[in-house]
Amino acid sequence: MLTYITLGIFLVALGLIVFEVFDKSLVALGGAILMVVIGILTPEEAIESIEFETILLLLAMMLLVNIASKSGIFSWLNVKIASFTKGNPLIIFLLFSLITAVFSAFLDNVTTVILIVPLTIELVKGMGRDPKPYVFAEIIFSNVGGALTLIGDPPNIMIGGATGLNFLQFVQNLWIPISLVIIFTMIVFILVSWKSLKPIADDLIELTIANITIRKIQYEFLKVVLHKDFVIKVITILVLTLMGFLFQSQIGLPTYVIAFGAAIVLALMCEKKIDIHDAFRSIEWPTLLFFSGLFVMVGGLESTGLLENLSHMLVNSTSSLLFLALIILWASGLISMILDNIPFVAVMIPVIMGMQSQLTGDASILWWALSLGACLGGNGTLIGASANVVSADIANKRGVRITFLDFMKFSLPITLGMLVVCSLYLTVKIIYF
Amino acid sequence: MQAKTEVFSKLLREIEMEIGSRDLADLVFKSLITAVNSLDVKDVDFFNGEFSKLVKLVSQTEPRYGILNYYFAKLSKFTEQTICPDGKCRVKWKNMFVSEVKTILGHGDKQRLEILKNSEKIDLEGKTILIHDHSHTVQDVLVHNKNMGKHFRVIIAEQNLEKTHDNIERMYGAEIPFQVVPAYMLSHLHDEIDMVFFGAVTMKSTIDFVMAPGDHGIISEFHVVGVPLYMFIDTSKFSLWKSEKKVEVFMHKHERKHCSKPITYERIKYSHDRVPAKLFTQIVTNQGIFDPAGIKKLFLEKMEKYQIEI
Repeated sequence: MLTYITLGIFLVALGLIVFEVFDKSLVALGGAILMVVIGILTPEEAIESIEFETILLLLAMMLLVNIASKSGIFSWLNVKIASFTKGNPLIIFLLFSLITAVFSAFLDNVTTVILIVPLTIELVKGMGRDPKPYVFAEIIFSNVGGALTLIGDPPNIMIGGATGLNFLQFVQNLWIPISLVIIFTMIVFILVSWKSLKPIADDLIELTIANITIRKIQYEFLKVVLHKDFVIKVITILVLTLMGFLFQSQIGLPTYVIAFGAAIVLALMCEKKIDIHDAFRSIEWPTLLFFSGLFVMVGGLESTGLLENLSHMLVNSTSSLLFLALIILWASGLISMILDNIPFVAVMIPVIMGMQSQLTGDASILWWALSLGACLGGNGTLIGASANVVSADIANKRGVRITFLDFMKFSLPITLGMLVVCSLYLTVKIIYF
Repeated sequence: MQAKTEVFSKLLREIEMEIGSRDLADLVFKSLITAVNSLDVKDVDFFNGEFSKLVKLVSQTEPRYGILNYYFAKLSKFTEQTICPDGKCRVKWKNMFVSEVKTILGHGDKQRLEILKNSEKIDLEGKTILIHDHSHTVQDVLVHNKNMGKHFRVIIAEQNLEKTHDNIERMYGAEIPFQVVPAYMLSHLHDEIDMVFFGAVTMKSTIDFVMAPGDHGIISEFHVVGVPLYMFIDTSKFSLWKSEKKVEVFMHKHERKHCSKPITYERIKYSHDRVPAKLFTQIVTNQGIFDPAGIKKLFLEKMEKYQIEI
């Protein structure tokens, strides 16, 4: 009976999150409290089910990115890239798409689009062109880039926190499929949007307008005066953090300790340049509470043995690792197109752990299938990931209306194509390596 | 072409409102250099065709910018007379063109310095100066005179928040003592204010200055009470073509929440004020200081010499 009640609480909470009846953090915390009150979990078990490594890593990265962005270095970099393009639409598209992917591999996806999308819209609109293909590409590349690293997207942070897989292992295992996906997406975008992206090198009027626009955004987006010492400190700490992530196994410290250390050191070094209370306020506390509530609810589901049964059922249904990996990839991809991928990943983590214990040999590829499916699937629709929704809001505020269907016409075929590319990669990897 | 004209007009207007027409011109000519250097030029005839289209576009913007039209007309003449004299084009024509644009940019700096030098002739010692628009020329004049060791204070009449902040930042940065007052409360300060400084986007053949919205009211007010009014303008900003009296009006549909239902109404917003030159005491330019009659004479002479075909 308790099993059905637990499942009922989880499904109702999921429904409320999907249909945004209440704020999702409130729903997750409500579900968690209900599980404790009903007696599915003791208060101690509830606390133990929270993956504090994940919560602390998210918190530390939010703090670090907020302080770093106050230096103006990211805006400065974007404006420099805009200047470098000299107004060539194709180069604007390629560089801004790539910089979005690179930024979102290390910053969270929402921060990335907040930094890049407004500047792109101003630049492309100023040139008298339609900014939609550029914004769509940036949305998609923010999710693609986020899939590359342990800290790039919440599903990866959750997988890393639960499995102990480190930063380097994420990059080593994901760089090939992510590179293939980037190349595939670039080609599709260029072919589909060639009319908007073709070079203007033989049109003096277009070139002049483009270069005037670039100079306009230079003064618009660089109103904050860059302080050399602040920028140097930010770059130094960001590089050291990245090195810390890369050599995590040699250092012997968990990722969240490295990120926290970096955020605190940077805050101390730049204390006079920032308002630390403002930096603390900018941490997305509702998101962290949402994660905490969700972990408790998944802990409740786990305690009923439901997830263990699910993993048994999946493993017993096939002896093929490839088949399991493809099921995980496509299920997580398709579900993440419409639903929040975080609850799905939270449920799948114990399921895959159960599968791993039943399978002989190395089954770690299942984690990469989950990561690729959950992160890339978010591209499918406008509500598939937070970065999509935020980008559409930014665009609307700047007079570029992006509808659900507008985006889906581009994103759905591309996302399905990405999942096919990843399927091919997983197939080759499992069969030949 | 119509769509391009609209895009270009909007772009120029947005920039001019932010940084003023002098800096707009600098920005356009710097962009032109980058554009010409990036242009995939087939031959000089192709370039001439492309440049003619650009000159035409500049002449069709709404509003038209005197300073841009003046220099683009000069560049056109340069292309015809120096790059391709008698139909034969020079080999290094591209370098020559870019170099001429750089010379124009240099002119801007030179003219700015000349205005600053001429402004030194005004007695500012111990005076209280009112400013309203966020003319960079006026800001430069004040900073320059402060750096010359003159002592004066500034009263900033509030207008658009960003522009007022720009004035505040500039005065603060130059350590010029200043106070800020709402523009509709100036009548209380008539006795305190010794002189009023303004800049303009252009001067038209109607001998009106095109200025920031709200300037006309303040100028009329201080003209009536007899406080000296100074205009600082670079003569390359003159609109050297026959213009008609007209104003650019933007009509916005506005909606305001009411206790029972929203009220929708048209809100009329003007882009600039047109102010007759005769209201000013002195007009300080790079070519000297003039009274209203003198500036009219100078304008008509320049128009006769350089009249631009629109």
